This record gives sequence, C-alpha cells and structure tokens, in this order.
Amino acid sequence: MKIGRYSLNAFTIFLAGTIFFLPLLAAAEFSFRKPGGKGHSFTNYSWLLQQEGFLPALGTSLRLAVLSGALNLILMVPTMVVLNLKAKRYKSIVDFICILPLIIPVVSLAIGAQVSMPEFLQNTEYELVFFFVIVALPYTYRALDSAISAVDIKVLVEASRSLGATWFATIIKVIIPAIRSGIIGSLFLSFALAIGEFTLTSLLHWDTFPTWTVVAAQQNILGAIAISVFSFALAIFALTLVGILAARKKNQNLVLENEEVE
Amino acid sequence: MAKQRASSTLKLENVTRSFGTTVALDGLNLTVQPGELVALLGPSGCGKTTALRIVAGLETADSGSLLVNDVRYNDTAVNDRDMGMVFQAYSLFPNMTVAENIDYGLRARKMDLPKRMKQVRKMLQLVDLEEKSTRYPHQLSGGQQQRVALARALAIEPTVLLLDEPLSALDAQVRSQIREEIRAIQLELGITTLFVTHDQEEAMAIADRVGVMNKGKLEQIDKPTVLYNEPATPFVASFVGQANRLPATITGKGNVKVLHQKISLSRHSTDLRDGLPVEALIRPESITLTTENDDEATQGLLVSKSFLGPLTKLGVALEGLPIIHINSQSKDVKSLEIGDRISFKIVADEIMAQNV
Repeated sequence: MKIGRYSLNAFTIFLAGTIFFLPLLAAAEFSFRKPGGKGHSFTNYSWLLQQEGFLPALGTSLRLAVLSGALNLILMVPTMVVLNLKAKRYKSIVDFICILPLIIPVVSLAIGAQVSMPEFLQNTEYELVFFFVIVALPYTYRALDSAISAVDIKVLVEASRSLGATWFATIIKVIIPAIRSGIIGSLFLSFALAIGEFTLTSLLHWDTFPTWTVVAAQQNILGAIAISVFSFALAIFALTLVGILAARKKNQNLVLENEEVE
Repeated sequence: MAKQRASSTLKLENVTRSFGTTVALDGLNLTVQPGELVALLGPSGCGKTTALRIVAGLETADSGSLLVNDVRYNDTAVNDRDMGMVFQAYSLFPNMTVAENIDYGLRARKMDLPKRMKQVRKMLQLVDLEEKSTRYPHQLSGGQQQRVALARALAIEPTVLLLDEPLSALDAQVRSQIREEIRAIQLELGITTLFVTHDQEEAMAIADRVGVMNKGKLEQIDKPTVLYNEPATPFVASFVGQANRLPATITGKGNVKVLHQKISLSRHSTDLRDGLPVEALIRPESITLTTENDDEATQGLLVSKSFLGPLTKLGVALEGLPIIHINSQSKDVKSLEIGDRISFKIVADEIMAQNV
C-alpha cells in the first residue's frame, strides 16, 4: 500500500537522521557549555584559537588535503578513463590493487611506502600526500568507477572524435563533465580522509590537525569537543564549497533565440 | 534546404580485419556511389559494424584500402575524416543542451559564432526540434535523441554519413517514423550514406541498395527487390525474407523435385549434382492453397493460423518435415480452422536449392 510505504520511508529517514544528527547536535551543544557545565558561551572556541600550534596544524592539514585531492584526480581520472576505454580486461587487477590499502595494515603501509618514497620527499611533510592518496584509493576508485559505469564513455568519446574533436578537447569537454559526479565524490572522499587522517601521520611523526587535536584534547575535554565540532563544520564547509563550484553551470550556453536564419 | 557539399564516393577495396583468430572482414569490396544510401545487412558477427567502424576510423583495417573520392583514408585520423556518424546507443553529450550538442562539431572546426548558430538552427529545422534547443538529452525521448544525433552528425556537412543501427534502441512505431525521416533527409541533402542494420525490413525500406554480409564477406549487394526475388546465394535466400527449407532431389536438366512437384532450379543454385538430396528454399508466398484433385497438391494438417492484416500466415504440418509456412490472402482463408486438412502446392517458376 502506497501510504504504508511512504510512512515506512519517512520513518526510516527520520531514524537515520536522528542517529546521524543527534550525536552531532549533542556535541555542538556540549562544545558551547561554560567550564563547569552551567550556561553557554564561546569560551571553548576562544580557547581553541588561543592554543599554540592550532593555526599551523590546521594550515598543514588543509594544504595536504588540497594536494591529496589534486594528486588523486591527476592520477585516477586518466587511469580510470584509459582503463574503461582501452584496457577493460585489466579492470579486475586494478580493482584488486585499489582494495589493497584496506587490507594492508597501516603500519606495514607506512614503513613500506616510506622506504620506496624518493629521498627528496622522505623528510618533508609532503610525503603524507602520497600516503593519503594510497589510503583513499579504495574509496576514490569506487566513486570514479561508478560514475564512469553510469555513462557509455566509449560511445561518447567516439562521438566526440568523429565530430572532429581532439583527444584533449574530448577529455575536457566531454569526459570530465560526464563523470563530474564521480570526480566530485572522489575529491570529497580524498579531501575528507586527508584532513582527518591520524594513524599514518602519527606513525611518521608529522604534526597535522588530527595529531594536534589529540594532544590538545588531553588538556581540556570541552575544548576537545569544540575541536571536533569545528573540524566537522570545516569539512562540511569545504566540501560544500567544492560542490557549489563544481556544480556551477557555465554561462556560455549557445543561445539561439532572436537569431535570424536565412 | 541546400545540398551538402558535393556528394562523395566511398570505396572499400579488399579490406580485411581480424580480432585474434576471428576474421571479422575477409576481403570486403564495396562501393557506395555519390548520394546513394547503402545498407549493410547481416547477422551478428558478420562484420558489418566492423566495416562501418573502419570507414569512420574507429577501427583500423589489417589490409586493403578505404577511399573517399579516390583519396586513400586508411591513415587519416578519426577527427580529420569529416564523416558524420550516428551510433546505436544514445550518444548525446549529457552535459550539453540539444543546440550545444549540434554545435559541438562546428566548435571543433573553430567556425565563427554567427555561422555556427545559423548552421545549428538549420539542423534543428531539419529534424524538426527547434522547440527543444535548450533541452538536455535526459529531457528528450529516445526518438528525439536520435534525431538530435542525426542533426549533430549532419551539422559538420560530412563527406559520408555513417549510421550504426541508429534505430535499434527505439520502439517499433518510432523506429518506422524516424526511418522515414532519415531517408527523407538523406535524399534532400543527397549525402552518401552507409547504414548498418541487422533488421532486414529496415534495410529493405530505406536503402537504394542492400549488401548482405556473412562471415566477413559480402554475399550479394543489389536493390532490395532483386535481393528478395533473385537471391544470389542460399544464405541470402534464407536471410532476406522467410524461406521454407524442404528436402528435395536434383532430377537433372536444371530441375528439382520437391514435395510432389518438379520445379526449375534457380540459375544461382550451382554445384548441385543430379540425384543428390538437397534443401529447397521456398518463400511462404510461393505456396498457394489448392484443391485435393490437383495432381501437384500436397496435403497437410493446419496447425497454426496468424492473422497479419491483409495476409494470414498458415503453418502446415506434414509427417517427417518441418512446419511449412504459407502466406495467403486473409479473405481466402477466413473459413479455415486449426486442425483442418488442407491442400497446397508450390507456384514459383524457379526455386533455389543448396547442398544438405
């Protein structure tokens, strides 16, 4: 029955929403409590801003996250396109390789990957970018793969080429817009993962926002909650911004109105 | 509507193409005259799509030549070939409107904006979709999408138009409508066109000539009526139209004995020796109902009767033979019921036979 199904759907959405949002709302409320638990104020947030290392750690994390997102796209988009266009028979192998970061323990990954890292990167924080891309691989691969599978990319490419477009124009004007949802999803995932990654960063003794948070949280529990809420709001803001920029429609559509044709 | 640039001649000379051990094209020779629409017809895997893709530049030939107006095109890149192609699958760019899709090839040619807009409007008029210029592909029906794809392919004023089963994703009614539109536009523009399909009705209805392909080779290429009435090979006889396959014997002097009748053998049935058992191929409309008293009559049991408007298709069972199909005028068989015993005979002047 229709009504029954709608009610069930509404209940499911309500339940899922409650489970997702309730802890966040509780944490947000908690983060505004004054020390001692009575009344609300911005004390915990002002404490946060006054902490030494807050802005450098945040800056580092944002920088690494942006670079991770960029490297992930540079690496994965062409790979996935070529894989789907020219080398479909190797797809299962790539599929397997991209799942490996989920299976390999982070410790092994950290040591193994660091040893194989070029020397000039080994002693800079930018080595983390490569680790973040590796760790994000299982998710970014799936996001791109499902977007590419949803369109007949081979036909689109052939149509574009047969109409006289170069490979470059085909990639920029046809492929990327056609798989935009996958690219944005992939970017979201790699960005979010990079900004919140703790284990690898801690193992390799680098200071980023998550490692700084752990140290800071030991001094002030309410401040720690404020940090969590702040990180969450920051991630949502950054991702929304990317989403809005990516979804912005170009304003140079071919408009044919009021044009005279002989 | 002005004609496209001077129509071109398309030639494939001894073209071969293999995929691993599978031979897709085995020395294909084909000429499409300026302004002509040639349909390549054949079962799946016969090589027709490979041939089309080689012309488009999406596949390369192992050997042989592809010539457009006697200029060799084998090594010309796909984006430099100036060929318009409509694909089987919906191939419109999903991020672009109808007008932008049509404009795509013109932009790739770096044409200036006023010329592009004029051409896009011309194409929209041609496919009668002026009202939909700002729609996106997902807002169009399948038929409309293929009309846009046709407009997009024609906008670049291609030397040759290539149609790769463009109607196969559409439902029957739309398919027949778009088929007629494609033919009308093709005649209006006088553009040389190669059309690939596995649907014989489609090929027969639209093409000036139809080439029947089998195992990478062109079995016969001719006007649809010639293909149907004078098939050059048993494969063409059985693939184009329907044919009953009945056991028969060569009786000498160019005759074949089938059921209780002796009938002349088609001139195309060669390599058949006297006395040998063969398989006769007889069209359903070459069999007619008769009376029991007719010396040439064969009797059978009516097991099926399908009303097809002016014609009714009868299925007659005879012991030891496959069901024989007969196409009769509906008004002549109104009174027949399934289970009736009926008499029939072959009325063809000549029939085709093949070795068993």
